[in-house]
Amino acid sequence: MNALNSIPISYYLMFCSILFCIGVIGVLIKRNALVILMSIELMINSINLLLAAFSAYSNDPAGQIFVFFIMVVAAAEVAIGLAIIVLIYKTTHSIDIDVLNKLKW
Amino acid sequence: MLIMRHELLLIAITVILLLVEIFLPGDKKSRVITLAILLMTAVLILGFVPGPSGTLFGGMYQTTALISMLKNILNIGALIVMIQSADWLRKPENKEKISEYYILLLSTLIGMQYMLSSGDFLMFYLGLELATIPLAALAAFERFKEKSAEAGVKFIFSSALSSGILLYGLSMIYGTTGTLYFAEVGPAFTGTPLQVLGFIFFFAGMAFKISLVPFHLWTADVYEGAPVNISSYLSVVSKGAAAFILTILLFTVFSKIALMWSNVLYIIIILTITMGNLFAIRQQNLKRFLAFSSIAQAGFILLGIIGQSQYGMTTVIYFVLVYIFSNLGAFGVVSIISNRTGCETINDYDGLYRTNPRLAMMMMLSLFSLAGIPPVAGFFGKFFLFAAAANHGLYILVLIAIINTIISLYYYLLVIKAMFLNRSDRPIPKFKSDFYTSLGLILCLAGIFAVGIASTIFEAINGLSFGLY
Amino acid sequence: MFSNYIFYFLSALALYSSVMVLLSKKPIHSVLYLTLTFFAIGGHYILLNAQFLAIVHIIVYAGAIMVLFLFTVMLLNLNKEERSPKPIWVKAAAILAGIMLGLVLIGVFRGYDLRLIQHPMESQIGLVKELGKILYRDYMLPFEVSSILFLTAMVGAVLLGKKEQI
Repeated sequence: MNALNSIPISYYLMFCSILFCIGVIGVLIKRNALVILMSIELMINSINLLLAAFSAYSNDPAGQIFVFFIMVVAAAEVAIGLAIIVLIYKTTHSIDIDVLNKLKW
Repeated sequence: MLIMRHELLLIAITVILLLVEIFLPGDKKSRVITLAILLMTAVLILGFVPGPSGTLFGGMYQTTALISMLKNILNIGALIVMIQSADWLRKPENKEKISEYYILLLSTLIGMQYMLSSGDFLMFYLGLELATIPLAALAAFERFKEKSAEAGVKFIFSSALSSGILLYGLSMIYGTTGTLYFAEVGPAFTGTPLQVLGFIFFFAGMAFKISLVPFHLWTADVYEGAPVNISSYLSVVSKGAAAFILTILLFTVFSKIALMWSNVLYIIIILTITMGNLFAIRQQNLKRFLAFSSIAQAGFILLGIIGQSQYGMTTVIYFVLVYIFSNLGAFGVVSIISNRTGCETINDYDGLYRTNPRLAMMMMLSLFSLAGIPPVAGFFGKFFLFAAAANHGLYILVLIAIINTIISLYYYLLVIKAMFLNRSDRPIPKFKSDFYTSLGLILCLAGIFAVGIASTIFEAINGLSFGLY
Repeated sequence: MFSNYIFYFLSALALYSSVMVLLSKKPIHSVLYLTLTFFAIGGHYILLNAQFLAIVHIIVYAGAIMVLFLFTVMLLNLNKEERSPKPIWVKAAAILAGIMLGLVLIGVFRGYDLRLIQHPMESQIGLVKELGKILYRDYMLPFEVSSILFLTAMVGAVLLGKKEQI
């Protein structure tokens, strides 16, 4: 089961771009802080797949190592992000980003 | 081992603080402040000891005399922030969290230094994230103040989004060049459409970190909501590190498309300086005011980069050094007044000179330095930047920058007028600053004057830096 | 040819569930759809013969990150529908912006030069053995630095999570 011989890399490029755009749209249209964080995870996943595809097709391991480290960083980022979301919930009893309007010009 | 001395020292003191936190009994926690400051001073002094340069881990890590100096500059900024936070950390609600504060602050510094020393996009990315993620926790440090938590959430979202965009750019660069090492990406980076798009994504990600104009929207909110000392750290050390690495990368890895990125910079500089200044005029809260002024200053930093010469790079480093002292001076005054009285708006500062003349003088000198008025260092910083851009033939850009400097003079003078000329029924009461605050402010004051007068500093930086042509 | 069908199936699954992440009204449904997306992407990694990544991906994303999300949803009892969604013109503008970004990306990728990629043979680099060697030889430093990152993330999370003691 190996996609490298039968699927051109451009298919992966298209797929990853669409996934990335879905993530971007999610960040823009959602108001729930949790879902925004999930959309960012979607974006990062599309990047991971893109890097892995580049790496597999050009037979160079650096890309896959990079993906590994992106996963590591994403885990740390989510941990802090969710901790802050919990804080927001404790102070405002909502995680709708529209309640975040104490800071405005 | 010695090549990586800056980072290893910082890691060592972070671990020491972690252990001290575990074994120190609860009622003696405030001693951590002194310990942390002493340790950081030691690191700063040891960092100035000349050491070997070279690469490690097969080019993953590299250091040169220039990079060591940049790290020292960041160390200076971090030390002053650590000193200035002492008064705020002694407050009863923060006493339980002193060591955490220093550990997180130091780890971001470690991240910045690894970022500066990276020889590989992977290392660069890890350093960038290590410099960003703990800062979100620090921005939300005063946890049960709504504003602080809000600043934290805004910071983590915008930084996660920006690093996502940056990563997408990096993946395109990797896909077209087939490598992640700076030394190999540079020659392979010829400017095909995909590479250019990758560069744009990368640049957008970095612009978020430096808060250049189309990407600056998080800045004012985070600076206002976060604790004052974290805002000053963000505006000075964090921004300085990002500006340094951007300069280095533009000059080395992306040197082949210099014509393209200088056009991009041209527009972004004009936008950043103008928007930063115009929005700064209408601010009442001093933290927001300083946030917009720091956006404008970021635009000035880019003026040196667009010069593309060795002289341009020198001016960038020199300007950041000056900016560290002047901005930390201003933030230091805001910090102590905010701690003691809770006042943060410009109107609260009416008649400050009558009650607290020293603080008012300090604030005035810092603002003069930020605005670029002759006797203090800020003037030389800005002058050299303009000269660097003018040497490259960008006279219109320099003209716009000079007009903006005049606008900025107006709003800096508004604050000075409030402090010296306005009278107030309820002025800020007279109070005596503690030892650490005075020390921090004296260091900034010394920096503002010394860096401007001692031309050897500029010469020393110039001897180490490099440019495009 | 068989792998082609798997590719199409996994891509369609990933795209469908990622769209559903956004369309779901309840956060818990978004979380579950996101998990589905992650599994589909994990399948893609196996298809690319990147087995190490596939395993790490499932462990880290579906195992750790999604559990964190689920915990947050459950703990805060957030499973309510969004009360007032953003105004329609904001959504329209956002979707338009996203689609335009997608068009730019696809347009650029269409002209992508495939020169660099001339290794039609079976790629073995994604196996645990190969990657492990490289990870612990060339990429030792990032590995250690990421441990500092985790340490500070832990300190930060504890700082944000612990009870106020005055």
